Parts: sequence; structure tokens; C-alpha cells
Amino acid sequence: MLIRRLRQDAIGFVEIEPIEAELLRQVPAVCGATDEETVRKRLFSEPAEETESQFLKDWEEFVRPELRHIFFSARMLVEEDLKALQSRPGRHARLDLPLSHGEPWLNALNQARLILASQYGLTEKELSMQKIPKLFSRRDLVLLQTNFYAAIQERIIDILVGGEQEDERV
Amino acid sequence: MAETTTTITKAEPTTDTQLDIPWNVVVHNDPVNLMSYVTMVFQKIFGYSRDRAKRHMLEVHQKGRSIVWTGARERAEFYVQQLHSYLLLATLEKAE
Repeated sequence: MLIRRLRQDAIGFVEIEPIEAELLRQVPAVCGATDEETVRKRLFSEPAEETESQFLKDWEEFVRPELRHIFFSARMLVEEDLKALQSRPGRHARLDLPLSHGEPWLNALNQARLILASQYGLTEKELSMQKIPKLFSRRDLVLLQTNFYAAIQERIIDILVGGEQEDERV
Repeated sequence: MAETTTTITKAEPTTDTQLDIPWNVVVHNDPVNLMSYVTMVFQKIFGYSRDRAKRHMLEVHQKGRSIVWTGARERAEFYVQQLHSYLLLATLEKAE
């Protein structure tokens, strides 16, 4: 899969392999897996020490619902975008996104990675993408999935921040 | 010109000094958030140059935390909220 800046302020995911398409389709579902306490604690971390009781109370009442809304909106936007991802046997798929969807995608991919890392206790070393797992346990596959999402994030950041020039070939 | 009398009421000293003292916005290390992502978020929220944002990011990565902003309480709360919306681990604390 290649991720490129396209004409007319768009991001193009091209030459998407079937397995990559499947991992992309899983992003919204992973983002929705917030039942575990460890996951919730990471997504909605405490903003201050316990001594700031009034601030924490206000945060719970006013800020947390807003954060929940931001995360949910990003997830819904990705889910909507992914409806255009059509893959046929033996052929690569393609997905074009408006450039303005770059940030919500980053947010959703971050949610997905944080959730997977929390669920499986992935370490910083494992997430550094330096080591290729030798045994394909479920945890190893989740690590690959998490790092696959990280690679997509890196490309989107390159495009959003680096001002990568549009690619006329696509 | 008419002369006016003005009564000035002296305000009672406030015991709540929370709004007067500076507050730090602290970002904590996280194994999941990408370095490039954290740098981008600092640039976006605080308007920092890429170099300054990167310095803070590296401090978070190497020392476990970085004070990314210090100032008035209300603004500090706003920044913490913004950082949380990008899923960064951020807290508010009194500046020493």
C-alpha cells in the first residue's frame, strides 16, 4: 500500500493489499472496544492530581463527554470513509480521502493503537518497530496491526505537516 | 463642573490564590504516541516552531515528562483539554 498526497487536497491510499484492506476496516471496530477498564483509563486519563477535586469533578461533568464526542466523531468519519474501500479478489483496492479527514484519521488510528496496546500490554520496545516478531501468536499479530496503523499515521503526518507535494501520477 | 463623590470599597483579600499563581501544563511519556505525532500536536496547540515542539517531545521521551506551557490557570486548563483531545497524557500542576 502506498499513501500519497493527491491533487485537489486529498490523500490517496493506493495499491491496497487485501490484508491491508481488512486491517483498515477493523479500525472503527477496534476504536469501539472500550469496555475494559484499562482502555477507558488510558483514553480518558486523569488531568490532575486528586487534590484538585473540584477540577476533576468539573472535568468529569463537562470535558469528558466532549472528549467522548471527539473520539466518536473521528471513528464515525473513518467508518464512513471506509465504505468507499472496495476490494475485489486478485486486485488492489484504493481509497481517496479529503485532506481535511487527515486529522480525524490520525485520531482514530491513535485510539485504535492505544486500545490494542492497553488490551495486550504492548511495550515501548515492541512498539518501536525495530523487531519483527518470530512467533505468530495472537499478541504478535496485534503488534503487527498496531505498527501497521503507526506506519499509516507517519505517512498522514508527513502529508499534513511536511507539506508533501501532490503526486501527479495517481 | 459638578463635583462627584465616589465611595471606594476595598476588596477583601481573597484566600483562593489558585487563579494568581502560575500553573504548568505537563505532558507525560507514553509508549504508544508517535514522536512525529506528539511534535505535530505541540505545534498545533501552542503554535510552537518545529524545533521547539521537537525539544519538548524529546524531553517527554527521554525524561518522562515536559512542562510544555506555564501561565494562567484558565488557559492551562484549556491546553490540558486540547492535549487530551489528541490522546496525549497531560496534567495540570502548580508551578513551583
